[in-house]
Amino acid sequence: MSSATAIAPNYELIQQDGLETSLLEVSMGPHHPSTHGVFRMDVKLDGETVVDLQPVFGYLHRNHEKLAENMSYLASMPFTDRLDYFNSMTNNWAYALAAEKLVEIEVPERAEYLRVIMAELTRLVNHVSLVGFFINDLGALGTPLLYAFREREKILDLFEQASGARMMCNYFRFGGLRNDVPEGWLDRARDVVDRFPDFLDEYEKLLCENEIILSRTQGVGNLSRELAISAGITGPMLRASGVNYDIRKVDKYSIYDRFLFRVPYSDGNVGDCYDRFMVRMLEMRESIGILKQALGGIGDGPVLGNAPKVFKPKPAEVYGRVEAPKGELGFYLIADGTPKPYRYRVRPPSLINLTVLRDMCLGQKVADAVIILGSIDIVLGEVDR
Amino acid sequence: MSLDLIRDILIATVPLLVIFPTLFAFTTWLERKALARIQNRVGPNKVGVPLTRYGGRFSLFGLGQPLADGIKMLFKENIVPRDADRLFHLLAPILALIPAMLVLCFLPLEFPWTESLLPVQAFLLDGAVIFFFAITGLNTLAIFMAGWASRNKYSLLGGMRAIAQMISYEIPLVLSAVVVVMMVGSLNAAEIANAQADWNWFVFTPWGLAAFVIFFIASLAEINRSPFDLPEAESEIIAGYFTEYSGFKFALFFLGEYIAMFAISGLAVTLFLGGGAGPGVAALPWLSTVWFIAKIFALIAVMIWLRGTLPRLRVDQLMGFAWKFLLPLSILNIIVAGFAWHAQQQASGILKAIIWVACLLILYATAKGLDQLNRPNVRPREYKYAE
Amino acid sequence: MSLLGGGIFKGMAVTLRNFVGSYFYKDRLTTNDYSWRPSDKLPQRAGEYPKEEGEQLRDTTTVTNYSRNFPMLLHDGSEPMDTIRCVACQICERECPPQCIYIEKSTEKKENAGGKPQFFPATFDIDVSVCMSCQICVEVCPFDAIVMNSQFELSTPDRFGGLLLRRDDLLKSNGYYHKIHPEEATARDKRIAEEKAAKEAKKKAAAEAAKKMAEEKAKAEAEANEGTPDMEENTE
Repeated sequence: MSSATAIAPNYELIQQDGLETSLLEVSMGPHHPSTHGVFRMDVKLDGETVVDLQPVFGYLHRNHEKLAENMSYLASMPFTDRLDYFNSMTNNWAYALAAEKLVEIEVPERAEYLRVIMAELTRLVNHVSLVGFFINDLGALGTPLLYAFREREKILDLFEQASGARMMCNYFRFGGLRNDVPEGWLDRARDVVDRFPDFLDEYEKLLCENEIILSRTQGVGNLSRELAISAGITGPMLRASGVNYDIRKVDKYSIYDRFLFRVPYSDGNVGDCYDRFMVRMLEMRESIGILKQALGGIGDGPVLGNAPKVFKPKPAEVYGRVEAPKGELGFYLIADGTPKPYRYRVRPPSLINLTVLRDMCLGQKVADAVIILGSIDIVLGEVDR
Repeated sequence: MSLDLIRDILIATVPLLVIFPTLFAFTTWLERKALARIQNRVGPNKVGVPLTRYGGRFSLFGLGQPLADGIKMLFKENIVPRDADRLFHLLAPILALIPAMLVLCFLPLEFPWTESLLPVQAFLLDGAVIFFFAITGLNTLAIFMAGWASRNKYSLLGGMRAIAQMISYEIPLVLSAVVVVMMVGSLNAAEIANAQADWNWFVFTPWGLAAFVIFFIASLAEINRSPFDLPEAESEIIAGYFTEYSGFKFALFFLGEYIAMFAISGLAVTLFLGGGAGPGVAALPWLSTVWFIAKIFALIAVMIWLRGTLPRLRVDQLMGFAWKFLLPLSILNIIVAGFAWHAQQQASGILKAIIWVACLLILYATAKGLDQLNRPNVRPREYKYAE
Repeated sequence: MSLLGGGIFKGMAVTLRNFVGSYFYKDRLTTNDYSWRPSDKLPQRAGEYPKEEGEQLRDTTTVTNYSRNFPMLLHDGSEPMDTIRCVACQICERECPPQCIYIEKSTEKKENAGGKPQFFPATFDIDVSVCMSCQICVEVCPFDAIVMNSQFELSTPDRFGGLLLRRDDLLKSNGYYHKIHPEEATARDKRIAEEKAAKEAKKKAAAEAAKKMAEEKAKAEAEANEGTPDMEENTE
């Protein structure tokens, strides 16, 4: 038994400086600690450097879109929770927004406020745990992740008290929300929101100046402004590449025009992992601002408009989109006059942001490929659907 | 071979073989507990003595956990990959443990019952420090053996990383120890420890402090502790060289790693922290062993603390840090130490203080300059806001 | 010019503060230690949570007002099958997103709680290994017959039979519903009563109108020809 072929038949022998050498092909995933689910990267390594990368996914495909075309509009709502299972509230919202456009349902004001509150809490949950996972990918032993989860837990408790479930909230309905929040919930939410900035201060102190994190993330996984735009990247990743684009500002859907908030974005010189990480850190501060305004301005009233549970919309095409924490989440529906949608299509931000993975990883080290994947912020439920 | 010699050898080595594995068990518990508290968790708190399951009265803060882990490890299935080189796969963990155990013998530990015999460590060797580094280097071989014999790509990557890392960091490690050897004029561990009596610890001198910091950082890399745990980087290459190890072989690696941690901390204590020196040693000689182990644990606590805080470096940054930062700094430190030590011999109190401050400034400025040179563009950035 | 390694020291200060703080502040150490509960207090079989008096209300994070696990069928009286609300209309079966409900309609009618002869489910199975607790069945049910149970201790050694809840397992009294979801149950009962009152008022009005009409008719025609008002109830 001799030579490299005995170890791995897929070694590729190449000549380099008169030496016979070879690339190492490693299949990272689907059972890899830091592929964020069942994602696989077929990586070709020259030593530690990535010379080729092929993303392989589909392990979590659950036929979401075709299933939705075979059930009533309402019945797909719980399935949207399972797309990006970190942010079920914003998934619900995007779908509800599309369906409300289809049948033209008015949403009561209290419901709009609660929707904004839920969506911004979701954004906090997503960003805070993303940063935790990201630093975990960098090799920290779970400390930032567990701090993040400690805070996430408080918000999930709020979700549970309002909707009965921590992650699969299934809380939004066409025309409002399934039920009003229980008594005292708003005070508890105010309490959580008021204490969140203290945690963010601590988190920033722990992470944002750390020399190791700075040198690990800066200049790694650069995504140029042009490539980001032409690849259709959205969300914090696009803003990290220097494009000021936030659907909350562009569409002003729901009642986002009533709140004062700013959208952080980088100057677009690099668009590396550090930018993506920092944009999310800064976005959380803005979300807290929105939450404080929304929790201050919310009034009494019904939370569910006059909407039928099961309906037959007139033939039409609609596209509803929200600024989900990961990017633009859109639902495209074609109604044909039956109680079921003729076509149901999800625009998943995770999948579309993932398309530039190869461009960002080439020439980087194998350790960088892991953090670049982490900084994209994918959830496989949404990528594979 | 006389009976006395055998008795001496047993008396000198058996305590090491008993104390340090016991401390290892305690350290695993300590590490899990401390990391848990750093992460705001409770940590192991159920398994008591003997393996209490119910009641809570005997849980003793979960001190039975290492015992339970050990038993679990013993009974786990020993999985060897089909294509693995079975002999070397078996030998690697053993080879990882032996040098770690061996170097413990050079630590200037004074056990109370050795007083009547040869006074200090198990092996009284004039070249103890040199021998220490020589034997620690064997660890690299074991790790690469594990990485290669497993026939796993992640293991191979881990093994390659381990070799590069350990060989690189051995140089600043040795060079920082050179300062102390220069001061004492001996490679004998006991003499080095004795030279630091009366609080003349080398860590309290500027060059000694710099050397200690370099030594500590390099020793972290040498024993694969965070933030230099690249050979076993969990988020990148699963578990590195011991990806394909399970059961008791894995436990041996684990044991070897912790024993190496004790050994290198022990050397740091000997070289910089005064060995067994401490209050009350003059009256009760056996206290020196207690002090020695307490100092080891202080260093280990810092290692645990670092592990709970820091992410890991990238492989090229790791090598750059060794060759472009630690190596120049440790060479400069030798030069500074040489000149300053001679200058302060004749100097009075104030002049001595000036020399010391100047040394500190030179070393700090060089470190800062090297840092700037190595990563000129790395700094926090400003972000724009859109209304 | 920042301190060399200053960021690392700052981070270490944070972790040290957390390390010390976890011993003193409950806010930091959020992990609850519940497993030291005496072993005789541990749940012995399904449905024994919450164990201690008032635990449900105190510990809202475990069981909340809106907590939902798997559906249950409501009945109003002591004898479940006599007062079952479900009339086997099969709307929930049709709307269930993961299709985990299986209903067989009875062949003959039987009097239910309303005192009217109705169909009832001869079979009503929910496969809880498929059910995803989405509550769609509750929302589409026009008879308030199916609501969410908060019981979550359903583990069983029988993978197939044990996780298939049959009609008799699912039947729970309205009183039980009031116990687990007091607010929701009260609101639901209030709404049912209101709807019933409205219906009765409507019926009464209709009957009166019919009577009036009939009287007028009778007056006008001066004959003993009485008109029967339409009493048929619109069920769906």
